[in-house]
Amino acid sequence: MSAQALVLALPKGRVLEDALAALRAAGLELTMSEDERALRHDGPGATVLVMRNADVPTYVELGVADAGVVGRDVLLEHGSRLYAPVDLGFAACRLSLIRPAGASGPVRRVASKYPRVAAEYLRRLGSPAEVVELSGNVELACLSGLADAVVDVVQTGATLRANGLTEVDVIARSSARFVVNRAALKLKAGVLRPLVAALRARAEG
Amino acid sequence: MTGLPDGTRLAPPELAAGRELALARLRELYGSWGYLPVEVPALELFDAHHPRETQAFKLTDRGSDVLALRSDFTPALAHLVSTTYPAVAGGAHHPLRLRYAGTVWHANHPDLAGAREFTQVGIELVGVSNARADAEIIHLARESVRAVGLAPRLEVGNPAYVRALLEAAAVPREQAPTLADAIDRKDRADVLALVGALGLTGRAAEAIVRVPDLYGDESVLDEARALAPSDAALQAVDRLEGVLAEFEDASELLLDLGLARRLSYYTGVTFRAFTFDYGQPLLGGGRYDGALLPYAAGFSLGLERLMEAVPTAGPVDLAPLVLTLDDPAARRLRAAGVRVARALAAEPAAAEAEARAARVPFLLVAGELRTVGAPSADVEARRRELAALLAAPGEGEA
Repeated sequence: MSAQALVLALPKGRVLEDALAALRAAGLELTMSEDERALRHDGPGATVLVMRNADVPTYVELGVADAGVVGRDVLLEHGSRLYAPVDLGFAACRLSLIRPAGASGPVRRVASKYPRVAAEYLRRLGSPAEVVELSGNVELACLSGLADAVVDVVQTGATLRANGLTEVDVIARSSARFVVNRAALKLKAGVLRPLVAALRARAEG
Repeated sequence: MTGLPDGTRLAPPELAAGRELALARLRELYGSWGYLPVEVPALELFDAHHPRETQAFKLTDRGSDVLALRSDFTPALAHLVSTTYPAVAGGAHHPLRLRYAGTVWHANHPDLAGAREFTQVGIELVGVSNARADAEIIHLARESVRAVGLAPRLEVGNPAYVRALLEAAAVPREQAPTLADAIDRKDRADVLALVGALGLTGRAAEAIVRVPDLYGDESVLDEARALAPSDAALQAVDRLEGVLAEFEDASELLLDLGLARRLSYYTGVTFRAFTFDYGQPLLGGGRYDGALLPYAAGFSLGLERLMEAVPTAGPVDLAPLVLTLDDPAARRLRAAGVRVARALAAEPAAAEAEARAARVPFLLVAGELRTVGAPSADVEARRRELAALLAAPGEGEA
């Protein structure tokens, strides 16, 4: 790896297209392989590693990737201390406490893909409720009686309404962040500093 | 029971030898700058006010005392200073240069590599607080990285600047750590949200929003000065400039006014060392006047982490160079630092076979040095070196 060649960690899925668009608009030349199964894409401006969004903080924190794009919700759950110099604006969502519509009893058990955020939230409220970690379709926990509330991402709220659930409290607001490894920001300032400025100009302009 | 506790590791000779050599070089470096060795117990009384209290591996003593395995050397060193040098602990200006090396244990938060037991090596310069002292610590941090063959880059900041900004903006005490943390993470969105939520306005608020970007070369000092809302902020910049002035070549220092890590502990100049192609900090430290001692600064490094950053240049040669059949001349070679092992076979022919099997290139028998195995220019050059050592009169032999 030469001193100024960048390695980027990007999440697969919908965010990938937005992230690539933002990085390209900021002047990075990125070449993505035609092969849809490819996980590593070497381009003239940077090497792109594509992974699950929850893994992005690990790659960037260890410095395997110099920088990456990941939602604030994932950073909060990861307890990450990465640099997050740009709010890219897209993939906006809320991390919320969700209950069946009309539920009023005490919350005893909360299911979530975000156990750390959920536990921290409950601690702040002084609630003795326990947290159950699930890996997907968390709303089902509420509908099946596994839990009496869930902490999950809400984008439009359509899924909630369709399942008779309501957003009771917004715990945190999230959107995609450009994150940078602490060593890389200093050692590769020659490329990263202007990149941060260009991403910001686009996101805040 | 077999196996190892979570977060502990065995070190085979190839790893242990590298660490031992690095440790020897670091000790020599610190020693040559006048730092004196100290030792502190690995067993401590559990203290709920210890800075790393949440990391403590707890044990129960014979009585009912709760003990903790050492999780950090600095508090133990402060204890040593307060009992051995009470005047210094009381605020006397008298420089004490101390160094240490030993194992620490972190029960709850393994590092990214999963380790809960590691070797901490470091120095403390106690009883003095000025830019020259700050610079000495930073210089030795830089030399520590060089001592293991890596190219150092140090980020250097002064959290007193961020503290001054928060004070000037009258940020409520309860909110200050959250805002300082957002600044330290250069999280622009979080900083803007907090500044908005707290209703901060004016010069200090503007500086708070801009301080995460104040990193780079010396030119950031002028920017920091232009943004400074108070005398305290200006003094923090002056101190940093004073530290830089102590360096003939400051090109390996990267300034960052946005460093605000552990704001309640670090009161002055702080720094972290990095090297290329390794994404983790190699060491960190700074000035913590008033936290554990009136005047103190230092740094510590994790030896295993540091060695992880060192590229391995092929297998390390740890095998002996010479096998001997109890020849008295072996003493001369050993005194010169040559690795000479005893042949476990008693006959010269068997010893030669033993040397060949163990890939030991030379056999010393009856005062004569035999080359075992295929000769080459390299082997012949080494043979001549060894022969010269054997021919030279030893000390006291004349």
